[in-house]
This record gives sequence, C-alpha cells and structure tokens, in this order.
Amino acid sequence: MNTTRFMWRSGWITIVVVVVGLFGAWVLLNAVIGGRCDAACVVGSLSQALRLATPIAFAALCGVICERAGVVDIGIEGKMLMSAMTCYAINLFGFQVLKDSMGAEAAGSLSRLLAVGLGMLSALLLAMLHAVVSIRFKVDQIISGTVINILAIGVTGYMYRSFLAENLPAGPGTFPILNIPFLANLPVIGPILFQQKPLTYVMLILMVAVHYVLFFTPWGLRTRAVGEHPRAADTLGINVFRTRYVNVWIGGLVAGLGGAWFTLEAVDVFNPLMTNGLGFIGLAAMIFGKWNPFGALAGALIFGLGSSVTSTVSIFRPDIPSQIPQMLPYILTIIVLTGVVGRAVPPAADGQPYEK
Amino acid sequence: MRRTIRSLSVLLLAGLLAAACAAPRQAPTTGGEPAGAKLRVGLVTDTGGVNDKSFNQSAWAGVQKAVAEFGVEAKFIESKQPTDYEKNIDQFATENYDIIITVGFLMGDATAAKAKQYPNIKFGIVDYAYFPTKDSPSCNDTVKDCYDDGGLKNVTSLMFQEDEVGFLAGVVAGGMTQSNVVCTVSGMEIPPVVRFVTGFQNGAKWINPNVSALNVYIPSFIDPAKGKETGNSMIDQGCDVVFGVGGNTGNGGLLAAKERGKMAIGVDTDQYETYPEVREVLLTSAAKNVDVAVFEFIKSVREGRFKAGINTANLKNGGVGLAPYHDWENKIPDSVKAKVQEAINGLKDGSLKTGY
Repeated sequence: MNTTRFMWRSGWITIVVVVVGLFGAWVLLNAVIGGRCDAACVVGSLSQALRLATPIAFAALCGVICERAGVVDIGIEGKMLMSAMTCYAINLFGFQVLKDSMGAEAAGSLSRLLAVGLGMLSALLLAMLHAVVSIRFKVDQIISGTVINILAIGVTGYMYRSFLAENLPAGPGTFPILNIPFLANLPVIGPILFQQKPLTYVMLILMVAVHYVLFFTPWGLRTRAVGEHPRAADTLGINVFRTRYVNVWIGGLVAGLGGAWFTLEAVDVFNPLMTNGLGFIGLAAMIFGKWNPFGALAGALIFGLGSSVTSTVSIFRPDIPSQIPQMLPYILTIIVLTGVVGRAVPPAADGQPYEK
Repeated sequence: MRRTIRSLSVLLLAGLLAAACAAPRQAPTTGGEPAGAKLRVGLVTDTGGVNDKSFNQSAWAGVQKAVAEFGVEAKFIESKQPTDYEKNIDQFATENYDIIITVGFLMGDATAAKAKQYPNIKFGIVDYAYFPTKDSPSCNDTVKDCYDDGGLKNVTSLMFQEDEVGFLAGVVAGGMTQSNVVCTVSGMEIPPVVRFVTGFQNGAKWINPNVSALNVYIPSFIDPAKGKETGNSMIDQGCDVVFGVGGNTGNGGLLAAKERGKMAIGVDTDQYETYPEVREVLLTSAAKNVDVAVFEFIKSVREGRFKAGINTANLKNGGVGLAPYHDWENKIPDSVKAKVQEAINGLKDGSLKTGY
C-alpha cells in the first residue's frame, strides 16, 4: 500500500536526519570542548539522554493518547507529581512493613513494584477527575488541567508536610540497573539501550505498543476518528464518550509511570515540585512529534541529549559561565521546533467537548 | 449553559481549596504558655524546605534547640518560590514575631527590604552579608556600612567560611582518590556554593598536585534527578570522589556515587544522619553548623546582646568543620587524617589559605 511505502521512506529519511544531526552535534561539541568527547563520552551521553528522556517521553505519550481522542491534557505535570509522591511514600513505608517478614532484597523489590502500581493508580484518580469534568461536564479542558496541576501541588505538599518531612527511616532505594542478557554486551548499542533501569524499557515498549494500537487496530482507528470528527464517528456508531474516557484513563496510567521514574528510578528522595516542569516539556515533545508516539520520543530524546551535553560542556569548559550551557536544551528545542519540524497540526477536534 | 456555569463554579471552588492547601507549609507552634511573655521566633526557609537534609533543616534544628532550652515559641514557613520570600516574612511580622530568621543567600534582598520596613523585629539571615554596592536594592554605596548607617541596624548576617571546610573535604577527597579525578555536583552558582567548590578544589590539589577537579553548576537546589545524571557524567570522566554541594540536587550526586560504587562527601550537615541511604559511600560531610549559629543568634537576642553586623563562623570558632568519618573511620589511612589535621591547624593559624 502506498501509505506503508511512504511510512517506510519517511522512516529512512528520519534515520538519516538523526544520524547526520547527531554527528553534527558531536563535531560541534568537540569544537567547543577541544576534542575531548571520545567514543566513551558519546556512548555515555546517549545513554544518559535516554534516561533523562524517559519521564518526558511518558508525559508526551500521555498527551498523545489523550489528544488523539480529542481531550487536551495539560494536567500531566500534576499527575506525575502525584504519582512521584505516592511511589516514594509506598516504597519507603511498604519496605519498613515488609522487611521483617522477608529479606531486605525481596522486600525492596516488592515495595517498588507495589509503589509503581499505586503510583499509577493515584495518577489514574486525577485522570478520572479530568475525564469527568471535561467529558461529562464539558468544562474547558485547559481549566480542568490547570486545576489538576494545582490540586496535585496542594495534595503532595500537604502529604509531604504531614508524613514525609522529618525522621524518616532508610528506604530500599531505586530500581537496580537491569542488564538485558546477551544484548547488554553488544558494543555501543548495549550500554545505550540495554543497560538501563526497568521503567526506561517499559517506556520504549509502550512507545511501540501505542504506535501499533493507534495506527493498526480498530481501537486506534476509533480513537483517531473521535479526535478528528466526533460527530461523524458518532453517526457510525462509535461511542464517543466511552472512547474519550478510556483514553484519558490510560493516559493517566502512563503519566503515573512517568511520575514513578522520579522517585523509583532516578533518585530515592522526594521534594515538592520535583517534576520540575518536565510534564510541560512532554507536551512540547508531543507537538514536536506531531502527535505520533515515535515523534514524541524523538522530541524527548532531543531534550534529554541537550541536557546531557550541558553537563559535558560544563565539565570541560569551566571558563564558560555556567548559565550559557544551561540554556542549551531550551535553545536546541526552539531551533529544532522552528527549523526542522515545520507546521504541526493537532487533531481537528482537540480540546473541543462533544455535545451529542 | 447553566450547567456549564454551575460546574465551572464548582471547579473554581476546588481550585481555591487546592490553592489553600498549597499555601506554605507551617509547623505548629510549640509551647503552651500564653503568648507575649515568650520570645517568638519565625523561620522562613528557602525553596529547599525544612526537610532538605541540608542547611534549611539544620537551621530549623537550631530553632528547635532554642525551643527546648529557652522555651521560646517557634514556627516555620517554607518558601515555594522566590516570590514568596517577602510574603512569608510579612506573615511573621504582622503576627508580631520578635525574631525572624531567613535561610539562604537568595533571600538577601527580601530580608533587607523587610528589615527596613519592620525596624523593631530582629532579623537573622543565613549566608548573606550586606556590603555597600552601587545600585544595590538592599544597600547602595551612599553609606559606609550597611548595618550601622544603611538602615539594617536590626540585621545580623550569619556567615560561614565554607571555603575552609570545603578545603578539608578536598584534602580527604584528594587523599582518597584512586583515579586522581574528584568532582563536585553543585547547585546554583551563588557565593556560599562557590566558596565550597573553590575550597574543595584547592584542598584536593594541596594534598595531591596531580588531581584534577571537575565541577558542574546546576541552576536549582531541588532537582536531584539532574544532579544524579550530572554526577554520572563526571564519574564517566573518571571522577571517583563526588562532593555534592547543592541541597537535594547535590544529594543526587551522592546517589550517583553510591550506584556506581564510588566515594562521596556530603555537605552542610552530617549527611550520614540525614541521608542514610548513601551511608556506605559517604567519607565525611563538610558541615556548616547552621544550627549552632542560629541557636547562638536566638540566645544573643534573648540575653539582650543582639548586635547588627556580620557574624562569621569558621574553623577557629567551631562554626564549620568536617563531620565524623563514621563507617570509613578505619578505611581512611592515617596519612590522610594527618594531612587533614595539618590543614586544620594551618587554616586556623592563617598559615594556609583556601584560595577563595
């Protein structure tokens, strides 16, 4: 089919652009730091870029799932924050309860898994609120999303103040690195892709899964129909409301995974506002990727890479004022958004409540 | 339409409630005697909050000690963002607190403005000293001395010679490194942080001239995930002793050291106690006894000995110092410990300079 061939061709073009872009970036970086970024440094930076891209990619994926069905979700940040707090608390206190009845090792693994589950659930609760308010009551989705963000800041701040502030026991720490057998030993690709922590793998698998579901299954077709032209979808017998509800819920679960990254995979501490705006950067990545999962991943990776290169420049050039490399990820985002991507058109019914 | 308006108003209410929850966190007042008879102390923290495992926490500990010993009444407010500083000071001032302690360099201008507005309240600011500067909002160069004739007669600056204790931490790091590369994961590039970093780098080079010292400033004190990845970058470059200088951001660096099996040095307080998860890799901590300084300040006001001006804590008066080696007591060679002692003596009698 023509579209398939087109997708393959554009896929190849993308890969060539990425490789050329990365090479150019590497040459430029070496020009700045005097050729000190060798192969090991390149591998380290790429592997770090993938780690830093993980929460952004989860956020972007949540955005794709919701907006493809026509519901704008700017409450991703809040959902991630809520999940980060829940994961931290469950991991810490679950471990204290479990460690006496089983070994510390097993208790740590179990409490982390429990934490991921409940963290996703906490984000789901916020997503359900967003869904009800914006689908059933047809409130402006931007307002609803803002409320979710403020609510999450309030709730997590309150929980932190009441239970997570002082005299805490030692927790079990973060997920260990999970080397994928055989693949982890491959040169270059191994350390970048297959020596990561579990949620990073989950993110990559989800990307593929969501891409498949969105473009190759009836459910995906319905989702896109509802996001483009809900009236037409409705006349063909698709339940617009149900489709939107389920998508927003699934988006919430995915955002929950993004939140889990902060306190279970990156670090083992929680502080208020620790999501640091990455939920919003996820939205930018989604727009960058034109509401496609892989495009969104690319957007997240660019930001992750920019952030990683920032450290490299700072390390080797302490004479450059630290503020200049710190601007890099943002400048990069602007350049790529304006120069490479071109016009990004959202789903036609994005953000519009559906009146039957 | 009516339904939309109704649900909107419900939303607005929910938003307001959430905003109320998000209001700065406050501790209950301590002590049950009627107010008025007692000295009332208010502490305004920086964005790190009283659980930053670092200097905000330490300042609150100093206040609590005063509560225990003198029975003063105390309360804290956490600043969520820099725009909160003045508002939070106002809150204590309007409740007629006797002493307001503000924590952190970033609160310098806010504290000066409010000290001028409330001349009857005694202010203590941690980490900020006022010097006449052209066009400065807090103290411009029309005066000779900011405290005496610059309108800050009710302000004491509680300063620390971070460079001295940073130097000692550098001696330990330079003595322990196997790779001859040590590094610092730093927060914002502000004077107290710069003093720590400069002292650390010079201390490491003093004991071991072959050492190279890497450093990255990160423009946040509450971004542990970024701190950890920055630590990883420097470990990739061979660093095997990570000094985390930046609240929770620095804590991320300590965690990177732990996960990669390297050594770490904490900051501000004895992080062996405040961040137990990284105990096994923690050589020592470069402690600023903020708690002692804050306690002594409250004591001086209570005894009518308040004096405006700069109060510097250094090695000589015990205001800064290395925390115990704890688990590393037997693993740090005596030769390194002897060098640390030599540096202490040199810095105390002035024969050794930190280079700041």
